Amino acid sequence: MSSKGKILLVDDDPDFIEIHKTILENHGYEILTATNGEEGLKRVRTDMPDLIILDLIMEKHDAGFSFSKEIKKDHLFKNIPILMVTSVAEATGYRFSMKEDGYWMKTDDFIDKPVKPEILIKRVEKLLSKGEENKIE
Amino acid sequence: MNKKQVHILVVDDEFGIREGCKRALSEDGYQVDSANDGSAGLQKINKRSYDLILVDLMMPGINGLKLIKKVQKIDSEIILIVITGYATIESAIEATKSGAYDYLPKPFTPDDLRTVVKRGLEKRNLRLEALQLYKEREQRLLELTNEKSRLQTIIRCMADGVLVINLQGQLVLWNVSAVKMLHLTGTDKSGLSLEHYIKNKSVIKSLKQILDSQDSDCSMMTREIEVDKKGSVLMAKIAPILDKKNRILGTVTVLSDITKLKEIDKIKSQFVSMVAHEIRAPLAAIEGWLEVVLSDESREDNTQNKKWLNRAKERSHALLDLVNDLLTINRMEAGKIAQKMETVKISDIINKIVEFLMPEAQKKNISFKIHIPKDLAVIQADKADMEKLFTNLINNAIKYNKKNGKIIITVKKDESYITTRIEDTGVGISSKNIQHIFDDFFRVEDETTEKISGTGLGLTIAKRIVDSHLGKIEVKSELGKGSVFSIFLPYSPKKKKRM
Repeated sequence: MSSKGKILLVDDDPDFIEIHKTILENHGYEILTATNGEEGLKRVRTDMPDLIILDLIMEKHDAGFSFSKEIKKDHLFKNIPILMVTSVAEATGYRFSMKEDGYWMKTDDFIDKPVKPEILIKRVEKLLSKGEENKIE
Repeated sequence: MNKKQVHILVVDDEFGIREGCKRALSEDGYQVDSANDGSAGLQKINKRSYDLILVDLMMPGINGLKLIKKVQKIDSEIILIVITGYATIESAIEATKSGAYDYLPKPFTPDDLRTVVKRGLEKRNLRLEALQLYKEREQRLLELTNEKSRLQTIIRCMADGVLVINLQGQLVLWNVSAVKMLHLTGTDKSGLSLEHYIKNKSVIKSLKQILDSQDSDCSMMTREIEVDKKGSVLMAKIAPILDKKNRILGTVTVLSDITKLKEIDKIKSQFVSMVAHEIRAPLAAIEGWLEVVLSDESREDNTQNKKWLNRAKERSHALLDLVNDLLTINRMEAGKIAQKMETVKISDIINKIVEFLMPEAQKKNISFKIHIPKDLAVIQADKADMEKLFTNLINNAIKYNKKNGKIIITVKKDESYITTRIEDTGVGISSKNIQHIFDDFFRVEDETTEKISGTGLGLTIAKRIVDSHLGKIEVKSELGKGSVFSIFLPYSPKKKKRM
């Protein structure tokens, strides 16, 4: 494989798809995109990405959650790490944290929008290496 | 009692006794009259009231006993004292039985007379006082009854629910509003336990909780109670009823229905969090683009950087539009801008807007067809509102149109309305989405609209403007073929104030 990994971006904001795509492609990842949950699920089933970067708020306010639940209950896909990005956390004064919400958010990590390129890359690398460990087990 | 105001009557056929009594009592300061037989006595009694009457039992004509009975009928509070010889002591006792207060056996000394009269008058005072007290009590009871019925009327008419519960937890008073709010049953009897009236266990539980936590120091407490699954919420204000020694006798609960307020509050916080998200999203995108440029993801490719900065600018421009729309809505809601009703020519406004938006339309090679009759009547409207309204609608017709599409604007008049139809050949709106298009922040989001930016408030504002001019806005659409917006505006809306 020439790329460092296949990443699916699910976001209804075309700007973020492009921003993240630019950064990640620059760092040698292969990028797939989807603008809503439904399309995202289709992509997961047909292209089997190594990592999913998911926007919390899509067409419906809980679309991000139901998408990740859908993925995590499927044996084939549950090991795909999901990185949740959101612009909702600070704005609503409600902070999500892996400690408190991780168990039901069923995502592997999350960061606030906008994401600094170097942080995005670090998180992605970390999640992908964890994914590798899971596979070996 | 002032002696001068005390009137005494002596009825005796013996002149000596009459004069003797009169002298003795007058000396003491009493007002004394006399009569020499029963009928003369009666005449006097009928003319004025006496406090005390001395009656000789043995008189010709109407004798003393008869006189006593008659006086008793006239005024039972007059003190009657019988004057009698030894021989008639038994009849004196008889007289006492028929209502005489005391008797004075002949012969008697002035002091004997004074003592008996004094005692009699004291008795009379006591009787009068008792009578007065009795009357006052009656009056108070009457007032109390009036007060009670007034209070009941007030409580009955209250829109707030009222419950009075005694120390034993029994419901002793309530009103119709409380019946409605808590769905009370079996209210034909009072004084039973709460469970008898309220079937909903959670309501009983919360009421009891509040009642139990009540202590005499606390003057009032407030709680929210959820009544049913439909989401009715009551605000319960509970206060103890205390006696003079601050002991709790029971509690009064006043219930107000705050379901509507709760709903409004929810809508408001939803709106705020929506606005927050709508503003945060573009800001995050702008920062995202700046971040990509600053961290040199383009590898010093200036053309690429410029492209990205332009994307950031597009988002910041859209954000500015959003803030402007929000301000417009805020002004409309607060009624801060009074409408200035003036004579407006719809045709002028439409032509001006079309000209202004022409460059945008030309980018997609969209052509306009405008049909406006020359003799079109003017309408009374706020010019700035009209410009905003038609800008939003024509702008939508351009934005959601296809390349090489058409926009047909037709203005017609009938008896009471000027009707403007704006027809486009754009993406159309599905029947699922069409019911939401006037909602705050609603935007149709699918493949066909993802490249189109908008605030989601344009149609919200348009509808509010039309509403405030007492008009009507309608939409018909077919997915993939286009939409038609029809705006009906009355020639001169009577209402001057906005909403």
